[in-house]
Amino acid sequence: MSSIPSKLQLKIFATSPARPLALETFIPIFHQWIKDHVLQELAIDVANYAHVPKGPGVVLIGHNCDYFVDESEGRLGLLHNRKRGSLPAESRLEDLVRRTLHAAALLEKEPALGGALAFSPKELLFRINDRLAGPATDATFAAVRPDLDALGRRLFSGPFELTRVGDARSLFAVKLFSPGETAPLAALLARLGGPPVPDLP
Amino acid sequence: MTLAKTWKEKLGSSVPEAWSREIDVFETQIELRKKGKIEEKLFAETRLRRGAYGQRYDNGQRHDGATTQTLVFPSGEITKGPTTLWDAPGMQRIKVPFGRLTADQLDRLADLAEEYSDRILHVTTRQDIQLHFVHIEDTPDLMRRLSAVGITTREACGNTVRNVTACPMAGVCKTEAFDVTPYANAITFFLLGHDDTQNFGRKFKVAFSGCKDEPCGLANFHDIGAIARTRVVDGQTRRGFELYVGGGLGSVPQNAQLFDEFLPEEELLPISQAMSRVFARLGEKANRAKARLKFLVKKLGIEEFKRLVLEERAALRPDPRWTAFLADLHALDEKPARPAGSLPAVGLAPGFQAWRASNVVAQRQPGYVMALVTLPLGDLTSDQARALADVARKYTGDAIRTTADQNMLLRWVSEADLPALHAALSAIDLGSAGAGTITDITACPGTDTCKLGISSSRALAAELGRQIEASGLASDANARGLHIKASGCFNACGQHHVADIGLLGVSRNVNGHRVPHFQLVVGGQWTRNAGSYGLAIGAVPSKRVPDVVKRLTARFAAERQGEETFAAFVSRIGKKTIRAMVEEAQILPSYDQDRSFYSDWGDPREYTIEDMGVGECAGEVVPIVEMTLAGAEREIFEAQVLIDEHKPQEAVRRAYSAMLEAARALTREKNPNLGSDAGEIVSEFRKHFCDTQLFYDPFAGAKFAQYLFRVHEEHAAATSPEAVHQLVEEASLFVDAAHQCYARLGASLGGPTGAIAPSVLAPAAPAAAPATTGSGN
Repeated sequence: MSSIPSKLQLKIFATSPARPLALETFIPIFHQWIKDHVLQELAIDVANYAHVPKGPGVVLIGHNCDYFVDESEGRLGLLHNRKRGSLPAESRLEDLVRRTLHAAALLEKEPALGGALAFSPKELLFRINDRLAGPATDATFAAVRPDLDALGRRLFSGPFELTRVGDARSLFAVKLFSPGETAPLAALLARLGGPPVPDLP
Repeated sequence: MTLAKTWKEKLGSSVPEAWSREIDVFETQIELRKKGKIEEKLFAETRLRRGAYGQRYDNGQRHDGATTQTLVFPSGEITKGPTTLWDAPGMQRIKVPFGRLTADQLDRLADLAEEYSDRILHVTTRQDIQLHFVHIEDTPDLMRRLSAVGITTREACGNTVRNVTACPMAGVCKTEAFDVTPYANAITFFLLGHDDTQNFGRKFKVAFSGCKDEPCGLANFHDIGAIARTRVVDGQTRRGFELYVGGGLGSVPQNAQLFDEFLPEEELLPISQAMSRVFARLGEKANRAKARLKFLVKKLGIEEFKRLVLEERAALRPDPRWTAFLADLHALDEKPARPAGSLPAVGLAPGFQAWRASNVVAQRQPGYVMALVTLPLGDLTSDQARALADVARKYTGDAIRTTADQNMLLRWVSEADLPALHAALSAIDLGSAGAGTITDITACPGTDTCKLGISSSRALAAELGRQIEASGLASDANARGLHIKASGCFNACGQHHVADIGLLGVSRNVNGHRVPHFQLVVGGQWTRNAGSYGLAIGAVPSKRVPDVVKRLTARFAAERQGEETFAAFVSRIGKKTIRAMVEEAQILPSYDQDRSFYSDWGDPREYTIEDMGVGECAGEVVPIVEMTLAGAEREIFEAQVLIDEHKPQEAVRRAYSAMLEAARALTREKNPNLGSDAGEIVSEFRKHFCDTQLFYDPFAGAKFAQYLFRVHEEHAAATSPEAVHQLVEEASLFVDAAHQCYARLGASLGGPTGAIAPSVLAPAAPAAAPATTGSGN
């Protein structure tokens, strides 16, 4: 039985941009995504924290999920935050990854970015955004490791590592790293069944 | 992995019992509202009094630049207040009395921002912390976790006493008469939840300052502004306050008026209580736009207001809390973590001296300094907050305060540690210089998240800061010290009236299109506790504001005479000169030529004011009797649940408590000095409502009142399941009878037919104004 709680985060890291990308570039993109219902989720607003160094950057605020063009850890990436919803525990992890990869793939293709943004398929940062359900402990790691292993086997074509990161005060976090992975995001997504199902009321 | 525990179970006794109970009650109210068992206005005021506030688009409508789209939330049409949808994310305001935070509290706030918000802690202009995009159903756990570290959100919004603010340098400042911290703390917890502060028509703000000349306390624009004073009486130095009342910003800014040149310290709490009573009794209720204390003081005149307050003071029932805190005025004293020292003469990093010049202030205590942590737009991340908590633990001995400039202040830093402290702050991107200078621009949330925002004050502030930095004005000795503050609307949460250059969000119709603008307000005074307010010169298109501000400040930098203030400079060159700059900026290209002027900073959508909502800050004026009777009903419900949970004795106690609460709610309208002792409540209820037959039911006579008397005489003893059921049923009937009594007596009880009893003042209630009251925190 899966031990994956419901409040989760996944960050996929950007490779070095082909040209400097100001975080503000993402503001009109996210507004357009709301207008055109691009993600097939209830998206509500865009929050701009570009003025905060190594911060949440620019955020597409949704009802069930948020998407951060995020600079925490000092590295640009797309952070997907699942904050509510009633998915069964068994499908939470897969849904998390599919939504993250789908949104990241859309950003890679975003005309306004002109191909300057690409994400690395080698590395993902997984977090449990709930200190009650998933404290940063070895016990939590032991509980979720089978699910993360299973995910890694489906997602990556080669060997991968799971490494706990952060300290006792941080959110529980695990880095998934597959050094040999070179597949495009669309291919990774296909391994999990393709784009996520719409999540609209 | 153990997943069974709730936060309530996990935190256990670390949450103070009374606060735990309040949060349980709020959680029950959330459940009842979801089931439609609490009326939405009542729930709105209830949640506001817990600091849970609405946010932009919470009516489910959002303009996408072309049309207004409906946000289809899963909970459908359930509301958490008028035109406020249940699922819409909201803002949680967290009171930080006089801005004092411990490192553990900062850690906890970081966790909560991460788990329930968007990983940003926002410091407000009234020293609160706000979290945005919070779901109402997450708030009880959020509040529990705050309570476990000594923070309550009670009365952070709504028609209540808001966060009590104070000079963040209190206790270590060179110019203060004495440390106002214990006084600010005492009044915070004395007025919190006090019977006499529950029936206001609007919010009520209190501020303390240690001295008169510096700006830090901002006493001039508060409902009560207390400035520390000492006086020698019979050879002994006595403490007291120069007390001001009735100040305020908003659309009708008003300077506070002197209430007392020297109010002795022991009178601070009773006079505040008496003022609360006068405000609750005579303050406007129907027209929220006229309901702040400033309007009452203006209407009555300061002398009459003072007479009424003193009269009320004389009638107060003595309360030991008035002076208990005076026995130990050092209870909140901070202890430094490190010994005092001197700044090393060598080995200072590049940038250190610039940071020291703007961000470091010497303390009264030799060898110690205060260090301001510059927060861009008042924001810091969860990661930064945790790291800052560690820095504070290491260098300051847990002494952190938030400031009205939306920064944080570390106190008790040994001067010898300053280079290391700066390095530690820089490592977490919090070591920027420029606190309190022209680039440290204050801004309210504006259209980013506020329902009332007209223009984007935050995005403008960010852009303006960038452009001023790039222009070199930030390093100009004359221009550097100017204060710029931006508000997204006339409610003035950005405190623009008291800046050298204030900016007030407005909209204008240009070439047939809506264009975001800011009124340019010049010449306000930040010093002398925000001593005077600036005046509006004219509206500038948002995209032109940086140009106008740079031109104006560059001229000041070039033409300043000696130590001339900006206000004096404005007076010297004349407002007409500045008006000409504004008029020049007002000429815009047409929509087809350049559409950039027709959207706001940081928002590519074509500008509209259709996203504005109805302000909640004023809350709903729900008479305290109604609030309390609703509370009693909730207790009846809880008693029923306790029966189902096979907890009969707790059910009996809860039902008895409900009856007492209902009886007290009515009786306080006859005897405002009524205490909380059960015997006193029953006795006074009998005198005012039973002996007078006011509580008599038209058909059942004294029957329902007898339910209370009996359960009280029997000490709430019921043993058999039948007896418990009967008692809960009788309690329910009693509370219902209290409702009926209240409805029958109406206005004479401050009842449902007309707000509070018009006793002394009886002006005709003006027609209700549009609810565009502010979101001032």
